[in-house]
Amino acid sequence: MNGKPRVLPAPVTGQEVVLLGVIAVLWTALAVSTPAFLTAGSIQPLLVATAPVALVGIGMTIVIVTGGIDVSVGGAIMVCSVLTAKALVEAEAGLGVAVLLAVAAGGVLGLVNGVLIAYGRVHAIIITFGTANLFLFLGLRIFGSGTVNGIPGTLAFFGRGTAGRTLGVPHAFLITALLTVAAWWYLRHTAGGRHFFAIGGDAQAARLAGVRVRRRVLLAYLTTGLLVGLASCFVIAQGTSTLDQSVGSGKELAVIAAVVIGGTSIMGGRGSVLGTFLGALLVQSVASGVTQLGWRSQLSDLFVGVFIIVAVGADLLRARARARRNR
Amino acid sequence: MTESFGARLLRVLLTQRIALLGLLIVAVVSTFFIQDAGGYLTAPYDFDYMSAALINAVPLAMLGLAELLVILSGRGGIDLSVGAIVSLAGMTFGFAYGEWGWPLWAAIILTALFGALCGALNGFLVSYIGFPALIATLATYYAYKSLAIVINDQQPISTKPIQQLFSISESVELPLFGQYVPDVPLGIFTFLVPTVVAVWVLLARTAYGRRLYAIGTNDVAARWSGLPVRDTRFTAYVYAGLLSGLVAVVTVGQFASARPDAGVSGNGMALPAITIAVLGGVAITGGIGRVAGVVLATLLIVWLNAGILLAFVGNEGAQYQLLALGAVLIFAALLNGLTNRRYGGTS
Repeated sequence: MNGKPRVLPAPVTGQEVVLLGVIAVLWTALAVSTPAFLTAGSIQPLLVATAPVALVGIGMTIVIVTGGIDVSVGGAIMVCSVLTAKALVEAEAGLGVAVLLAVAAGGVLGLVNGVLIAYGRVHAIIITFGTANLFLFLGLRIFGSGTVNGIPGTLAFFGRGTAGRTLGVPHAFLITALLTVAAWWYLRHTAGGRHFFAIGGDAQAARLAGVRVRRRVLLAYLTTGLLVGLASCFVIAQGTSTLDQSVGSGKELAVIAAVVIGGTSIMGGRGSVLGTFLGALLVQSVASGVTQLGWRSQLSDLFVGVFIIVAVGADLLRARARARRNR
Repeated sequence: MTESFGARLLRVLLTQRIALLGLLIVAVVSTFFIQDAGGYLTAPYDFDYMSAALINAVPLAMLGLAELLVILSGRGGIDLSVGAIVSLAGMTFGFAYGEWGWPLWAAIILTALFGALCGALNGFLVSYIGFPALIATLATYYAYKSLAIVINDQQPISTKPIQQLFSISESVELPLFGQYVPDVPLGIFTFLVPTVVAVWVLLARTAYGRRLYAIGTNDVAARWSGLPVRDTRFTAYVYAGLLSGLVAVVTVGQFASARPDAGVSGNGMALPAITIAVLGGVAITGGIGRVAGVVLATLLIVWLNAGILLAFVGNEGAQYQLLALGAVLIFAALLNGLTNRRYGGTS
């Protein structure tokens, strides 16, 4: 291998190893300080809560790798989950129909973002700030008034209960992990996957090299939308039989935080869905730890902020050291 | 080559954001006047109502100007944390004025300085360490929001002095000719107008303003011509924090209570502020934007929102405000893109 240029980046980056280490230390510390932490009754809900953020994080990673961003996923989750909850309550939809409906709805919303961003030639943050408002409006209109009550247990397969687990592992988490590995393989080992990185590195150069930039960008937002749809099913299944209007609120920032903590560069061109997965797990572990230590739950946001600064700061310092060495 | 009148009008409207905003304001206001005359609104939409609605323009325009400063500074400049600073600085104000019994002027100065300090952390991360602004301010958004909520155990501060502050949101009759025009909310004169004038002077009449436009347009070129790029960008974030601190005082007055979630509840205050800035013609890539654009964009949104509230019953109005904000933002953004391709930019 010596002297040959490496075509593929290392399978696992430093950031991912560090994250794994941090999670291990955190879990050990929590296990020592609160004996209840390392029990199925505590870990299972933690994994279930990680799933939607990590799942949407797959799409968000691809979006950010192309140099874009999507701040509308919170609103999109609201639209998909209220639509699906209403279908479950009013049309007594089955599991398959509900999932299809949610994913299709998410796909449509993702398509709206994708078309506006790929063909409108406007920066993604502006467009998705705009569509975030439109989606919130749409979600609130579908809600009508107040809440959706009496949601049946149709989606229990994705939920917290025994129906939602196989060999103790929650299905929502299992599906998320499988899709993360699939996305990791796709992004690393296929030409199509590498194109996303090329676009984020230099869209103009990618276009000249024959990448269909617009179609790829569109695909990134569409993927995010489809995953938002599936994540909405997880969200409904997690809750009680009631869905209120705060569903999805602030989720866009939680997902972006997971992506960033996972080592994906916000400037595009560099990132990993495995990192995002670990980032989401870390954030949720902190939230769970803060509650188990009996602290105010909002305190976990402070830790999230600090983690973002530490994770990105370490990455910046590494990049600076790299640049010095190469000079 | 001579341009036809129509083509020239189109070019002016597309390249002069102020002209377009002016036209839109006239269109929105006259639409609601006509609806009002036709009896379609639940309450009269007149000059008194428009004037009273201006109270909402105070925090919106001030935060829009804060975003103007940081977006101007370039390199993806943006501040997602302004709403969280409003919350945290508002709690500071609540403690100083409501609990510790500081005089009002001292509490206001403390709050403004505290906001500036929050902004300084953003500026330090962005300008000296090299964080992308989106990431730095996302992190501090979480941190400030969390601190604001836990600092007083999730409780709002609404002691007697704080409750009496509500007077700063009241409307007053102007001296001399006040009997001929509608009463104007006091906050316009105490906070908004001084801020607008100060930011305008800063950007249009000082060397700092020139430098800010220069680094936003091309910071490599600015560095090579000897400008202090880092200090200039850092200062933009400090000013944004300072303005957020002042908005905290306004917000405490409006709510008659220092609420820990004041700037982050629901959609938060950062989203509308960025929307106002973009609608006002500020280029997200930096270096382009004017105070007048932000002010006119604020008036457009405030009077549009005020009209929507009268056109719908109950909470439907609040929902349609979201639709209007989103649609106007996307419209303005697509228009910016079109203008850039066709005429080389908006001013």
